[in-house]
Amino acid sequence: MHFKIIFIAFYLSFMATAIQAQEIKTIETDDADVEVRVFPAEGNRLLLGFPIEEGKSLTEEKTARSLAEDGVEVWMPDVLSALMLPNLKSSLKDIPAKLLIRIIKEAKKSGKDVYLIATGHDAEVVLRGASEWERLNKSSLAGAVLMFPRLFKGVPEPGEIPEYVDSVGKTKLPIMLLEGGRTPARWGVKTLSHALQENGSPVVAKIIPDIRGKFFKRDDSNRSEEVVASQMAGLIKVSLFYLNRNKVND
Amino acid sequence: MINRKILFMALLVFSGQLFATELKPFTADIKTPALVLQDLQGKTHNLDDYKGKIVLLQFWATYCGPCRKEMPSMNIMMKKMGDTPFKILAVNMGESKQEVEKFVSEVKPAFTILMDKEGKSIADWRVFAVPSNFIIGPKGKIRYTLFGGVEWNSDELIAKLKELSDK
Repeated sequence: MHFKIIFIAFYLSFMATAIQAQEIKTIETDDADVEVRVFPAEGNRLLLGFPIEEGKSLTEEKTARSLAEDGVEVWMPDVLSALMLPNLKSSLKDIPAKLLIRIIKEAKKSGKDVYLIATGHDAEVVLRGASEWERLNKSSLAGAVLMFPRLFKGVPEPGEIPEYVDSVGKTKLPIMLLEGGRTPARWGVKTLSHALQENGSPVVAKIIPDIRGKFFKRDDSNRSEEVVASQMAGLIKVSLFYLNRNKVND
Repeated sequence: MINRKILFMALLVFSGQLFATELKPFTADIKTPALVLQDLQGKTHNLDDYKGKIVLLQFWATYCGPCRKEMPSMNIMMKKMGDTPFKILAVNMGESKQEVEKFVSEVKPAFTILMDKEGKSIADWRVFAVPSNFIIGPKGKIRYTLFGGVEWNSDELIAKLKELSDK
């Protein structure tokens, strides 16, 4: 009897570890070999994240593990290292679209519904990849989560309608847009949503109260920011739920 | 030695280019939007009532670092404008009275703080970043805009604003 209990406990703990395990997968492309951190899961959803400007962080790994535990597989390609580019906003424009397409193609091979996710300025890469994917492929991506996206082209001049980067409004991808309540960008959510919808993307936007920009890496986090940072996986799962309602079937 | 001098000069010029914040003449084809908001004491301010004065209209937030840094220079600016009819209206972007009062007790702005909880004026004035500033001439027309923090008490800025007295 005791042996049985010990065996079951051992089996469960082994399974939990197996679910959370991070694997490194290499995707070979014409430009570079891209290492991808994979947090495998059994479910039918795959979240492809592009952590670029902020680089790798413990928060994102913790979030990825938590998502994998709940059946959402997470892939995080290290595009910058592959291309030998620094963790800077200026590196974004040097990431070729064909590299993004190659990574998306590999993710699609899994047979799962592929969702894209990015924060801040990295959102440009996700939108560029998605529009290029749509141009070249018949099969659809399931959606994109843009967390606190920063998509202005240059400085938003007071009194003028802001200009967004070229990839805004070029895709049909369902988009979930999340913005912090204590950021100036929250006042631009409506304008950005309209711009994103220009080519047919259904956009759902949510403001998260009391949250400042880049809250997940602040030393002076407030209580709300601490809670949201620790529950990021839950926030993403809710976002996937909304995106699933707008999913385009292949 | 000469090399060091050249390097220093180059750095000076380069840093000037990077950090110089200038008033930008306002050319957008829109009429000056209305602005009617209450201050922290509940008094209503209508932008129209300040016709005849040069108005610095600023949109700001307590979480905005440059806003906190530049507000003392705005206090000095008011003094340096001397007899020139001048008013500063600083619109807080959607925060609570409690948050704004705490900020005011720390930073001590000597000018009018307006509250816009719903963000209507922020949309009307097309503000997408903080701090966003509008300089309105005595006839009620937007003359300049400026995005970002700046030392408002600089002689250059004050002179440029005073030039608007009859415009």
